[in-house]
Amino acid sequence: MSKLYQVKHELWLDILYASFATGDKEIKDRLYDFSMIAFRHMKWLGESLLEAGSDYNYDRTKRLQKRRCTFDLFNDLIKEVKTAQQEYNGSTLISRIVTDENYFVEYLTLLLADSKNNHKLTAFDLHRTLPNKKLDTVQTHSLTMFLFEESYKEYELILVYAYMQARTDNLLHFNVFQDLIDESHFHLKSFGNMMAQMGILALPRELHELTYKITDISQFIVNGIKEEENAKEQCRALAEAVNDTELSQFFDFINYQENYHIELMTKLLPESI
Amino acid sequence: MEEIEMPEGMNPEVLKHIMNPQNYGKLTDPDGTGVAMDDKTGEFVIFTVHLSQEGISDINFATNGCQDTVVVGSMFTEMVKNESVEYAQGAITKIEEKLGVLSPQQKICADMVFNAFVAALINVANLAQGKKEEIHIIKSEESCEVAEGDSNE
Repeated sequence: MSKLYQVKHELWLDILYASFATGDKEIKDRLYDFSMIAFRHMKWLGESLLEAGSDYNYDRTKRLQKRRCTFDLFNDLIKEVKTAQQEYNGSTLISRIVTDENYFVEYLTLLLADSKNNHKLTAFDLHRTLPNKKLDTVQTHSLTMFLFEESYKEYELILVYAYMQARTDNLLHFNVFQDLIDESHFHLKSFGNMMAQMGILALPRELHELTYKITDISQFIVNGIKEEENAKEQCRALAEAVNDTELSQFFDFINYQENYHIELMTKLLPESI
Repeated sequence: MEEIEMPEGMNPEVLKHIMNPQNYGKLTDPDGTGVAMDDKTGEFVIFTVHLSQEGISDINFATNGCQDTVVVGSMFTEMVKNESVEYAQGAITKIEEKLGVLSPQQKICADMVFNAFVAALINVANLAQGKKEEIHIIKSEESCEVAEGDSNE
């Protein structure tokens, strides 16, 4: 199994969760863009491994570093990039990755040069409140559980669909997987940022290979549709429970998006080909 | 361990297990591997164990299930690691008492965790008898897909 793939997987999560943890909107957005570039690196690396007759898995060993301020976070990211680069060989893909990462390090170095960019981080302090929202204990508990449950599920879906996408020769399937991956990225971003706002940011747990090595795609899709329906119900129940117009509208919006996910997933069933 | 508050499930102990599940993942070259599988939903819990003369020297679990499953798995593995197999089997009852009143779904999630552990021990026993078995699987008789109205939530 590829050690480099694991390093890139962990680096993607490092940058993504640094984006969630950061409060400054402009820096958050830049970090998120870099995280999506890192995800594409991971995808391309996976494809090149398969082409070479090798393989990869989704094992991880690193834990989320709970930093107190943004400068600690940025310094940590620079170290992680440098560590990842020790694993690289000289392919064209790696040259592209190195160029991207060097630019990313330059960006972080620029941020570190100005003390105005150093902010206290509250993403890990467990305060469990949202700015300008009054949620009672039960509402807070419901929202907390929902965010943990669904952030894991979105991470799982991104990786499972990416794994299947890398192994399909069917163009329709490829495109459906891409749509589902894009949708899950958006959901994970939404939930991750909300978790950070509540001080409960935590990495989703690692995927076991039983989760992503799918032997029966029809059963997988049937189960997946049930999960989507379950997620819809959770969104609906949460929208009702939170008793806050803005939050309710957001969870309804997510709920309605799940309808189309079910439609997309149905296209993956063998009888729909 | 303090009294676990389920289904609200949000005392600091529970939050700790959700944010950072203990003994999560898989062991290399385990002495036993057990899976509890819910065919209806595709949910699984998998345990890998290392045994020594003294008992369970290491234990890991993983699941694609819900947070309740993660919390129970994390608490259970923490409780039985470095304990004897006999203690671990008794710990199932202890942890059930600790969890208190559970919704039907949560009860099924907890049972999946315990069944996966039992399956790992069966796998150890089968391998000791010379049987070729990579993983021992116990199929769940009940599914956590409970009809609306059956839940305590």
